[in-house]
Amino acid sequence: MSGAAPTLSEVPDEEVVPRRRRVKISVPLALGIVITLFFLVCAVAPGLIAPYDPLAFDYNNLQVGPRWTHLLGTDNFGRDVLSRIIWAAQVDIQIALFCTVPSLIIGTVIGALVGYYGGITDAIFGRLVDLVITFPFMVLVIAIVAVLGPGLNNVYIAVTAVSWVFYARLVRSEVMVLRQADFAAAGRVMGYSDMRIIFRHLLPNAMIAVVVYWMTDMALDILLGSSLGYLGLGAQPPTAEWGVLVSDGKNFMDTAWWMSVFPGMAIVLCGTGLSLLGDGVADLLAVKR
Amino acid sequence: MLARLPGRLLQMIPTFILIGVVVFVLIRLLPGNPAAALLGIHATPEALARINAQLGFNRPIWVQFLLFVGRLLHGDLGISVSERIPVTEVIARRLPVTLALVVMAAAFALILALPLAFVAALRQNRASDVALRGVFQVGLSTPVFYIGLLMLGFLGAQLHWFPVGGIGSGFWSGLYHLILPALTLGVGLAAILMRSLRSTVIGVLRAEYVEFARAKGIAPWRVLTGHVLRNSLITTLALFGLNIGTLLGNTVIVENVFAVPGIGGLLVEAIFGRDYPVVQGVTLVLAVMVSIVFLLTDIAESWLDPRLNS
Repeated sequence: MSGAAPTLSEVPDEEVVPRRRRVKISVPLALGIVITLFFLVCAVAPGLIAPYDPLAFDYNNLQVGPRWTHLLGTDNFGRDVLSRIIWAAQVDIQIALFCTVPSLIIGTVIGALVGYYGGITDAIFGRLVDLVITFPFMVLVIAIVAVLGPGLNNVYIAVTAVSWVFYARLVRSEVMVLRQADFAAAGRVMGYSDMRIIFRHLLPNAMIAVVVYWMTDMALDILLGSSLGYLGLGAQPPTAEWGVLVSDGKNFMDTAWWMSVFPGMAIVLCGTGLSLLGDGVADLLAVKR
Repeated sequence: MLARLPGRLLQMIPTFILIGVVVFVLIRLLPGNPAAALLGIHATPEALARINAQLGFNRPIWVQFLLFVGRLLHGDLGISVSERIPVTEVIARRLPVTLALVVMAAAFALILALPLAFVAALRQNRASDVALRGVFQVGLSTPVFYIGLLMLGFLGAQLHWFPVGGIGSGFWSGLYHLILPALTLGVGLAAILMRSLRSTVIGVLRAEYVEFARAKGIAPWRVLTGHVLRNSLITTLALFGLNIGTLLGNTVIVENVFAVPGIGGLLVEAIFGRDYPVVQGVTLVLAVMVSIVFLLTDIAESWLDPRLNS
């Protein structure tokens, strides 16, 4: 330290440039990352992991319990339960994405516009929010699916029709705060268009909260999607989906419990992983919820 | 509290109108002619014309809406396609079961969540707290149909402690049959309540009035029951109101798992039977139930916590 430069103790606190904060990954977050990655790999390359063909009937091994050759047993057609669970990850991860990504995009755009412009659009939006929270989410989705007809595509439509409102509400409140910020005023002074200010300057700052909500939302949508699958309103057999697999095995609970119990565990594990990931990221970035 | 009641009741009116709009629009989402959808396989040209005239499907959309609201105000939800009796009758027959189920489930959720939240809060960050939080974290990610199926398989089919579905006959038998479904719903709700309750109790434990009560020399358990519990109940109630929608949504699934003849099971039956007037009616009743519970918890909250009225 040369004589001219101030020593660290002489530098006023606010001038100390903090070192890049070390990212400390908590145990729950690490668990969340590992579990989520595991299911992502299952979804992307089920053929590499699954020990058997999920559709191959094996009449010599009908409903055999868990053993070395079939770790999680086989179903009433002799199909390997583990392989079916792994292949079903594809459908359930698809549910998590297709239920959330369209809502996220639509909700973010509308929420940003409503939050920035306020006024009459905001008043209308307020009524819409009232409406959506009055209906039980599940009942509204079930009712829409009922009218459109059972099936995954209609589940996506029904969920998106309802859940974009939650994203929009979140983005709206973030943007309402951000539009008061100095950098937004600076943008206006520079003569930037409203769109440029909203989408280039305000939204990137609002996205952390959205991403955190998105992760928890994916966990909820897997629960919802599998519940609808169980009721027969979601994925239609023979599509292997965890809820459908549980439903397939429910009549064999006393003779072949593994047919239902293990697919159910996959739902629990995947949901837990995603919510641990969401909570962990929220803690890490100190997002208020 | 009573002074706020008329205003709060007035606020219900736009909510009910909005509920009416959604339920009205819902049936118009049906592909094709709604009359054909309502009649299903029974559709003949004469029947179509009769339904169109009767329900006004050939009139302008806003006239249709006013007609719909008019019928609603007279308690007319249409005729069930499968049972050929008024939808209100079908629902009225099934509603008591669902109400009993929901009340029992709420009781189970409180019995589970409240003491455990206290244990977790009092032993904050110790082994028992971490274990409890872990269990409830997993509980949050467990779909209710799975909880139900496990209970059914283990407590019902294996141990024969409980009947495996249906409603039995008579009042006590009915309650006995509802224990497992209510417990299933209760566990699901407890997992949701537990998380916020724990942090509420921690907050109350740190409040100055609790410290003061302890300093006065009041016995610890009396501080807990008299001061901490009472103040935590308000939040519990608010949380309960917020989650009633989830509880009712789950009722649809659980009634299906346990073959409970309530309106949730009715909704799913109606969907597969393409009985759209019933779908419409049940959706309406469930939404109205949610907004009534919102109102009741609101009133109860301001009664328990007079500060909210100022």
